[in-house]
Amino acid sequence: MEVTVNKVVDAKGLACPMPIVKTKKEIDNLEPGMVMEIQATDKGSTTDIKAWAENTGHQYLGSTAEGDVFKHYLRKARDEEEKAETKHQDITSLDDLLKKVEGEEKVTVIDVREPAEYAFGHIPGSVNIPLDQLENRFDELDKNDEIHVVCRTGNRSDLAAQKMAGKGFNNVKNVVPGMKEWSGPTEQTN
Amino acid sequence: MKVAIIAANGGMFDAYKVFNIATAAAATDAEVGIFFTFEGLNLIHKEGHKQLPMPEGTEHFQEGFQRANVPPVEDLVSMASEMNVKMIACQMTMDVMSLEKEHFVEGIDVGGAASFLNFASDANITLTF
Repeated sequence: MEVTVNKVVDAKGLACPMPIVKTKKEIDNLEPGMVMEIQATDKGSTTDIKAWAENTGHQYLGSTAEGDVFKHYLRKARDEEEKAETKHQDITSLDDLLKKVEGEEKVTVIDVREPAEYAFGHIPGSVNIPLDQLENRFDELDKNDEIHVVCRTGNRSDLAAQKMAGKGFNNVKNVVPGMKEWSGPTEQTN
Repeated sequence: MKVAIIAANGGMFDAYKVFNIATAAAATDAEVGIFFTFEGLNLIHKEGHKQLPMPEGTEHFQEGFQRANVPPVEDLVSMASEMNVKMIACQMTMDVMSLEKEHFVEGIDVGGAASFLNFASDANITLTF
């Protein structure tokens, strides 16, 4: 799995609790929303990193294993994402989107999360355009298409929907709340 | 999260039990306090903590510690200190053993049972090793 990250932390060869201690030190240097890859050989690190993220409020994205090396992916918490407030008026619920995804007609879903978040689970057929790349990729999209924009909580997708509406896209729907509560099918990028 | 630990034993295994939990908790943004009493004082004694005894008959685990790349106790102690783990040495034990504050690693506090109880009174997790 190829995943774009902001920081790679090497905790290979280190025993518990060092992978956690190192992760904590390094995440303090990241900006909120940035993604970190932790490489570890400690077999307990998968459950530990996950539990650590749960306790600290950071977002655990997933883990991969290659030989003896585990790679764990975290995204630094961003408080404003947890607030439900959105500005873009045109919204779609997860249930409505699920019906469309399971239906016969083609549906356009743009996932504006970071590539690492997308890689560990996204709606089949959705296209990943991270929020910070959107401005440069408008030409990949059809202005008259019905476009569903999704992220984790509805916050980044709200910003994306506003940007698109400002660019003359006239049928953009923000999917709320987002992948955090999506119960439909997902696929991973291999 | 707030974690209160009593360290009452002075062997190398005891040191790992205490400092692994303490540093993991501190790395998880917990407020951590350790009360070192009786043999537990060895774990923060300036020279003593660098040569803690292993339980009799377990010396062969020495190799396992190296293989698993477990950091030396002194590294864990300085890490705990760096991460603002509050370390309290028991005044009464120090008096009994004729020890002074300067016999211990930098950054520790000296206090009595009431200091620990005050810290532990609103802890979410309390552990004794």
